[in-house]
Amino acid sequence: MTALVVANLSAREVSRRRAALLLVVSLPFWFYLARRDLSGQSTRALTLGIGWAVSTLTLFVVNASRGVDPRLRLTGASVLGIIGGRLLAMTGIGVLLALGYWGLVAVDQDLFHLWAAGPMMLITALVAAPLGSLIGAILPRELDGALALLCISSVQMLADPAGLLAKVMPFWSAREVGNYVVDGGSIDFVWRGLAHGGVTWLICVAGTLAIFHWRLRLVRYPEPELP
Amino acid sequence: MADWVDSLESELVRLGLQPGRARHLADETEQQAAESDSPPGEVFGPAVLYARHLVAALRVSSAPARLHAGPVMLSLAGVSKRYRRQTVLADVNLTVRGGEVAAVVGANGCGKSTLLRICAGLTRPSGGSVRRTRRVGFVPQDGGTVGGLTAEEHFTLFGAAAGMVPGRARSTGVHLASRLAWRPGARQRAQQMSGGTRQKLNLVLGELHAPDLLLLDEPYQGFDQGTYVDFWQQVFAWRDAGRAVVVVTHLLHDLQNVDHVLDLGASA
Repeated sequence: MTALVVANLSAREVSRRRAALLLVVSLPFWFYLARRDLSGQSTRALTLGIGWAVSTLTLFVVNASRGVDPRLRLTGASVLGIIGGRLLAMTGIGVLLALGYWGLVAVDQDLFHLWAAGPMMLITALVAAPLGSLIGAILPRELDGALALLCISSVQMLADPAGLLAKVMPFWSAREVGNYVVDGGSIDFVWRGLAHGGVTWLICVAGTLAIFHWRLRLVRYPEPELP
Repeated sequence: MADWVDSLESELVRLGLQPGRARHLADETEQQAAESDSPPGEVFGPAVLYARHLVAALRVSSAPARLHAGPVMLSLAGVSKRYRRQTVLADVNLTVRGGEVAAVVGANGCGKSTLLRICAGLTRPSGGSVRRTRRVGFVPQDGGTVGGLTAEEHFTLFGAAAGMVPGRARSTGVHLASRLAWRPGARQRAQQMSGGTRQKLNLVLGELHAPDLLLLDEPYQGFDQGTYVDFWQQVFAWRDAGRAVVVVTHLLHDLQNVDHVLDLGASA
């Protein structure tokens, strides 16, 4: 119940940040437009842009709620209800964004396996929401968190795909599934990518919940003794 | 409508009013609601809560003699707080019962807000013991709201946290707001409110789940004179309804009507 209310109100709050929302929605598009002539590069850049946009938006939403969360806990809400509800909302926004851009590449690009571009973008959006939340939990200042997400996205884009560094970054799943989408090859790319995304999602969600459990813990006092 | 009126009447009787007096008040309330062409639940909020407010108002207006203090709601014994080598609070003792108001005073930086956070359970004390009732409302000095949400959405959010259904949370919030002479705008978001209005919202959110103990950290910042007077009347109404209230304040003329004054002294 609390989680659904938090999710609903978080989504409403985000929808009212018109300028931020416009930038978030358009950011992956600029990534895409920069190399629209190359199907592979543009689709990969677009997907990474979705990850960056959704994680950054989640970071700002998490930071904006910092003052209200302890009061909600005192009023009776559980950490899972508060954080889970917020993640639900941001994941929903990410999924909508991913579906929209899947439609764009469907009409604008000639990909080897177009259907797999959907899971590629969706898994990126699913990972991005808890990643933004985790970074927001670790780095309370918005600028610090935004720079950290910029670093993660940049390293993911620039790291050698054959090396270990690229594979331990959170958006490696997009790169892996992207191999199947753009270059064809074995469907194992898709399964490996989804598995990487699933593990990353679990780590980010568990990390977020653990940090917020600690940060929003309430001291349990005994009740006063009756006379 | 009949259900609501019956609930009001039975709650008034349960709170100690004579049955005839309770019947009379319930009839009057029903007539007032009829005049505004709205169900009483929409006008006055939940019957149980409105009964408590009615009884509090009656006691304020008709009984100069104060209620006897109730059970202990908050007890601090030898509470201290240290941040690394700096002692912020040392050996703080305070007991507040239901039907009492305690004021916490002291210079800037002496640990007033830290003490209130300890009372709420948001900060762990370094030493001493704290006992407090489970149902507590906390109103911070600033923040505590979501800039992009309206007042009614805040009521829904905090109501959900307290296990209230959205409709009931909203009607209770609107009713409590009216006691601070405030009618929340349907589309006005917290970030568009003046500082004083945002503090009214903060106060209502602290009281929404009808806590037994209210912890208020200088909640009147930004209030105009009229609202400031309303605020203290509200504090005394809470007290007379049997609640315990702890208020952090730096305005010494507030202190003449409170039951306890805890002076934390100079800056730590």
